[in-house]
Amino acid sequence: MTLLDIDGLSAGYDGVPVVRDLSLHVGAGEVVTLLGPNGAGKTTTLRAVSGLVARLKGDITVLGGPVPRLRRAHEVARRGVAHVPEGRGVLGQLTVRENLVLGARRGRPDFDKALAYFPALAPLMERKAALLSGGEQKMLVMGRAILSEPRLLLIDELSLGLAPLIFAQLLPVVRQVVADTGAGALLVEQYAELALSYSDRAYVLSHGDLVLSGPASQLLADRSRLDAAYLGSEDIVPRDAP
Amino acid sequence: MSIYLQFLLIGIGTGVIIGALAIGLTLSFRASGVINFGHGAIATYVTYVFVEMRNHGEYPVPPLPNPLAIAAGIAGWFGLHFDAPDLPTIIDVGEGTSIPTAIAVAMATAVLLGLAAHFLVFRPLRYAPATAKVVASIGMLLTLQAVVVLRFGSQAKHAEALLPDTTVSIAGTLIPRDRFILLALLLAVTLVLWIAFRFTRFGIATRAAAENEEVATLLGYSADFQAAVSWVVASVVAGGVGILVAPITGVSPGRMTLLIVPAVAAALVGAFSSFWTSALVGVGIGMAQSLIFILEQRQDWVPDLDLAEILPLAVIAVAMAARGDAVPGRGAVGSERLPLAYADRIRPVPVALFVLAVLAASIWLPFEYRNGINNSLIGIILALSLVVVTGFVGQVSLAQVALSGIAAFGLGSYVAEAGIPFILGFPLAIATSALFGLVVGMLALRSRGPSLAIITLGAGIAIEAVLFRRDGWFGTSRRARADAPELFGIELGSASEFFLGDDKRPSPAIGVLILAVAVAACVFVSLLRRSPTGRQMLAVRANERAAAAAGVDIARIKLTAFVTGAALAGAAGGLKAAQLGSFQSDTFGWTASLVLIAYAYLGGISTVSGALWTGTLVGAGIGTVVGEELIVLGRYETYIAGTFLIAELAFDADGIAGSTRRLNRYVAKKCRALLNPRALPSAPIGSAP
Repeated sequence: MTLLDIDGLSAGYDGVPVVRDLSLHVGAGEVVTLLGPNGAGKTTTLRAVSGLVARLKGDITVLGGPVPRLRRAHEVARRGVAHVPEGRGVLGQLTVRENLVLGARRGRPDFDKALAYFPALAPLMERKAALLSGGEQKMLVMGRAILSEPRLLLIDELSLGLAPLIFAQLLPVVRQVVADTGAGALLVEQYAELALSYSDRAYVLSHGDLVLSGPASQLLADRSRLDAAYLGSEDIVPRDAP
Repeated sequence: MSIYLQFLLIGIGTGVIIGALAIGLTLSFRASGVINFGHGAIATYVTYVFVEMRNHGEYPVPPLPNPLAIAAGIAGWFGLHFDAPDLPTIIDVGEGTSIPTAIAVAMATAVLLGLAAHFLVFRPLRYAPATAKVVASIGMLLTLQAVVVLRFGSQAKHAEALLPDTTVSIAGTLIPRDRFILLALLLAVTLVLWIAFRFTRFGIATRAAAENEEVATLLGYSADFQAAVSWVVASVVAGGVGILVAPITGVSPGRMTLLIVPAVAAALVGAFSSFWTSALVGVGIGMAQSLIFILEQRQDWVPDLDLAEILPLAVIAVAMAARGDAVPGRGAVGSERLPLAYADRIRPVPVALFVLAVLAASIWLPFEYRNGINNSLIGIILALSLVVVTGFVGQVSLAQVALSGIAAFGLGSYVAEAGIPFILGFPLAIATSALFGLVVGMLALRSRGPSLAIITLGAGIAIEAVLFRRDGWFGTSRRARADAPELFGIELGSASEFFLGDDKRPSPAIGVLILAVAVAACVFVSLLRRSPTGRQMLAVRANERAAAAAGVDIARIKLTAFVTGAALAGAAGGLKAAQLGSFQSDTFGWTASLVLIAYAYLGGISTVSGALWTGTLVGAGIGTVVGEELIVLGRYETYIAGTFLIAELAFDADGIAGSTRRLNRYVAKKCRALLNPRALPSAPIGSAP
């Protein structure tokens, strides 16, 4: 089943597109990675899915419906999308418990659902989130996303500001959540290798254009094409790109 | 001893309304990141609705000027006189209603006001700079205040007591029982809010939205909805407590509206986040003010210094000093857009023609127009002082009129008491204002945005209470006097002789003096905008850290701006004193500063042409005079100005000057395109370069 279907999307700021004519899809039980160097338009794509950036062209169908306008962007989350934003995304003035309560959104929150994946959070429940370490904050954000029982996870640069070792511990959790719940996940990453090894498929953006896509294993096997996409080789990058 | 205890406990009455307002300020700050200076006005309006419903069965609708009034005005030019009736703006339900009905109607009004504040004022301003939000809340205060005065008159009204008027005896003194009921009610409301914000998901989400709107949105919470609910609750608490406290404080347009100052002090101690601290400090301030009042009356060792009025300022000062930047920051989706600060060109021929036209007008037009022109020219100079401080450097100042008053009182004293001639006394008065400006500027070095608004407001009130209303060089308890200015043996006062015109007051002589200073001020600020210092000022406004990184000395630029602004305000104050000849301290009262910044934003806060518009519009200026003469809108002036101000802020914050400039350019472009179709612009209008 397709959870996210992006068709011919152009999106950007003040009428200037950052992403042009992008099509991609994410199915249930799939981990898909969106790769690309700085400024490729990866974050803009995720924000367009969440309704934080207006579409200029094209269609996005997320969990069976179109993306509402900015004022109603919160409806995307209510539909079952958990978007973990770039940076840490914790609410620093709230405690860990309060952060998790917000994740659960309704009913009594079942904290164990998150703590099962991140037992390290258990002794920190009453601490202000701002006082957690970088890795703990990432765990909290992930745990908060898991508590919302998402059908689609959008995770923006999980690796940002983390030691590679911790990043390597978090990626299997994404894989595990997808396996446990049948959700889909769209990861945005700069660091290709590790992300690809936990993904099913991948798309590569460069300067706003889709330059490469295919099964993760295939991309991993053919490193030269991936490197060329990052470095902007003539063969792959379209001629009309700026 | 017992009388002091009695006054201390009686002060709970005012204290409860201060505490309720402080809670509301905290709520609306959490909701929209704005310190709502109009919160007291909401309480006032709701209280009036209750009183009118109860006493006369009349529901007041905000007055709208009848569009026919314009037709009546235009007909007036041709000698036809008819009075356009006001639109029916009272819904009459017959006799006075029962108490529950009146309360229900008043509370419904409070809900509507809360929703209006959110949806019509502060949500459109979500991405506006903090300064613009502060000004919008002042616009709301002025609008509501104007509506109250238009609808209910400025006379105080009697409010019926809803709480039992029995007394209890404590330590041998009789205390009205209602004080304790009010206190219990306030504590109950505080407890409910505290529980709601601490333990419910709704409260946690509201705190989350206050910290980071985007993350809250991504978690599925509508920051918008959270904010709307907070506004409604804030408004209902203010209105409800207002109705109960009304018999104690009295119902008048100003009473509760102005309690916003102690309420801000209380909320500040609670860092705009703690309901308990806000409420309790609010009650404490009310009690202390009451106690100070009786101590000043009865005890010789207490100096009679209006300490009750200064107390909130002392609280503000201590809270600020203890906490640094005491108003917490707030994250929002999107980036803020600053008002356009284009450099006005000085074109000699149009300027000369304009000056000659004003000169001719101030010689030959009748009294009202001459007076209006003088008021407008002084208004322009005052507006320029804000253009420098707020427009160029982005530092909101609510003390400019107080700073101008320093020069006004000073000039009078220098000339009359010390015998200094005007030609020296006027610059000396300006320098005195500048010196006070330096002090206010030093306070500004460590705070910005809403904190700075509070500090400068406090400074303005302190100057008024400590200096203007006290006998001395810079104030008097009676009427201040300023002699007619004399330059090179020529008298230039309002009643001086002039060789042209009709010898009536105001003499063109004072007009010439004011015009000369106003032109000099405009040229000076235009040149300042183009100078390296002006560019540095804009850099500080845009991003202090980036400016500092680029080598701009932030402290120097801010102090320069405050001193320059105060000097301009001083020039305006000196001229005002000379124009009036005799005046009272309330000419330079702190509310005048609020009105000034509202008009300055309406005209255009960051350009000289904006200041010209401000001067035209400002109260009793030429705009008002023409408005009253031609179109019968005069009494709606503040109301209309307040409404337009909010609309303008929400629209583009460039003021009338910015809007007319855009219109001019658009028309010019269209004209060029018509005349020369081949030179069509390639980029669509309004697109980024």
